[in-house]
Amino acid sequence: MRYDQFTPYDLVLLLQGLGVSLALFVSTTLIGLVIGTLWAVIRFYRVPVLAQMVAFLAELLKNSPVLVQLFLVFFGLPAFLKINVTPTEAAVITLSGNSAAFIYVIAVSAIESVGRDQIEAARVFGLTRWQILRRVIAPQAAAFAIGPLTGLLVNQLQVTSLISVIGVMDLTKVGNILNLRTLKPFVVWTVVGALYYLAAKLVAHAGARFEKRLRAHTAWKGL
Amino acid sequence: MISIAGLRKSFGAAIVLNGIDLEIRQGEVVSVLGSSGSGKSTLIRCINGLEKIDAGKITVDNFDVSKPRELSEARKRSGTVFQLFNLYPHMTAVQNVALAPVEVLKVPRKQAEAEARELLRSVGLSERADAYPAQLSGGQRQRVGICRALAMKPSYLLLDEVTSALDPEMTAEVLSILANLAKGGTTMVFVTHEIEFARSISTRIAFLDKGQMIADLPTKEFFSDKGMALPRVAQFLSKMRKD
Ligand SMILES: Nc1ncnc2c1ncn2[C@@H]1O[C@H](COP(=O)(O)OP(=O)(O)OP(=O)(O)O)[C@@H](O)[C@H]1O
Ligand SMILES: [Mg+2]
Repeated sequence: MRYDQFTPYDLVLLLQGLGVSLALFVSTTLIGLVIGTLWAVIRFYRVPVLAQMVAFLAELLKNSPVLVQLFLVFFGLPAFLKINVTPTEAAVITLSGNSAAFIYVIAVSAIESVGRDQIEAARVFGLTRWQILRRVIAPQAAAFAIGPLTGLLVNQLQVTSLISVIGVMDLTKVGNILNLRTLKPFVVWTVVGALYYLAAKLVAHAGARFEKRLRAHTAWKGL
Repeated sequence: MISIAGLRKSFGAAIVLNGIDLEIRQGEVVSVLGSSGSGKSTLIRCINGLEKIDAGKITVDNFDVSKPRELSEARKRSGTVFQLFNLYPHMTAVQNVALAPVEVLKVPRKQAEAEARELLRSVGLSERADAYPAQLSGGQRQRVGICRALAMKPSYLLLDEVTSALDPEMTAEVLSILANLAKGGTTMVFVTHEIEFARSISTRIAFLDKGQMIADLPTKEFFSDKGMALPRVAQFLSKMRKD
């Protein structure tokens, strides 16, 4: 068997790569959700200084290329702060921050989409700001946000491919290795592309189902 | 008692309420009349603390609404019914009514929902108790709005043109509920354009004109020569009756 032939082991490699991509995607999405939502809550409470800092940080993260952020974390942190980061850590930090920034934007507009009049009603009945956020705003904001959020996540899944440049063994990196070995770019990248496509479809499908559930629960066709 | 003294409120340069004095005692039904833009809604929004007041003092059972600590106590004592219902669209009628009792008064959910169902039944909505606002007619929504306010067992009901978004038939169904409440001794501050209804249920009429309370009279006197002696009142009444 020649080295430029495909072997069954390559499939295992590809699936491993897919596993790494998905694991990164899921973990950075969860971290991004927690941080982005927290930022939105800080803004909702108009916490002085902190709210402005969050808005500024989100602006920075949204408006600069992820690749540049990745380099900054991977090469910049060790150089300036003498903190060593592994490629995986750099990937998790960068992608989480990036997701957080976009999730923050979605969460803020979702919170603002909830009608003022209901919030006034909740206030005059004596609900606290926290109770209003939890019981009146959050359920409606979630139903509002799930659509844009699904779109964002489908995109963030593709963005994970950028981390291959710093050596994380994700799906793209595996594709790169196979490509160099077999010199069959068309086959390799078609298979890699198809795997991303399937994963993205899965995310979109899950999002759509979740959206249906959120809206069915409210039986509210207001949007 | 709701007590308003020397109340002033302006939005920017526009003075909307200019030195209002008004007292509402337990058992009274005070209708607030006045032409559009005279400041009626703003008055209600000052009483329930949705607007910050510029000067003067408003107390609800001696709790000062301009003090954050006391505002929550004041709010427990007054219930507001809104012109456009302001229901929570993601909650059923029962959930709308039970929310504040559960969150604010810490009533157990089961009990709060049972009480909510009872209230909804009393306004003829037992069949629609599990419907969402979007599935209800305007009149039904406003009845839910009234139940939501009553669920807090308020000492005072604040009502701001609660029928003006409704057609005549629905208006009648909501007004008959309010008439029953008035008969039952519920204290109300009732902003309305329904002159005849105000006349039939009110103990007193307060008349606002350009941010000033130019009349505050027992209902009978307001609709007699005494009220008519005030040019603005006479003008208002004759205009309203023509429409
Ligand atoms: N949030 C606000 N900002 C600026 N001006 C306002 C605001 N709310 C009310 N006003 C102004 O205050 C005045 C009184 O308004 P208000 O809503 O209290 O009148 P109203 O007597 O309830 O009228 P209507 O019978 O039409 O409901 C109006 O001139 C209005 O434009
Ligand atoms: Mg008004």
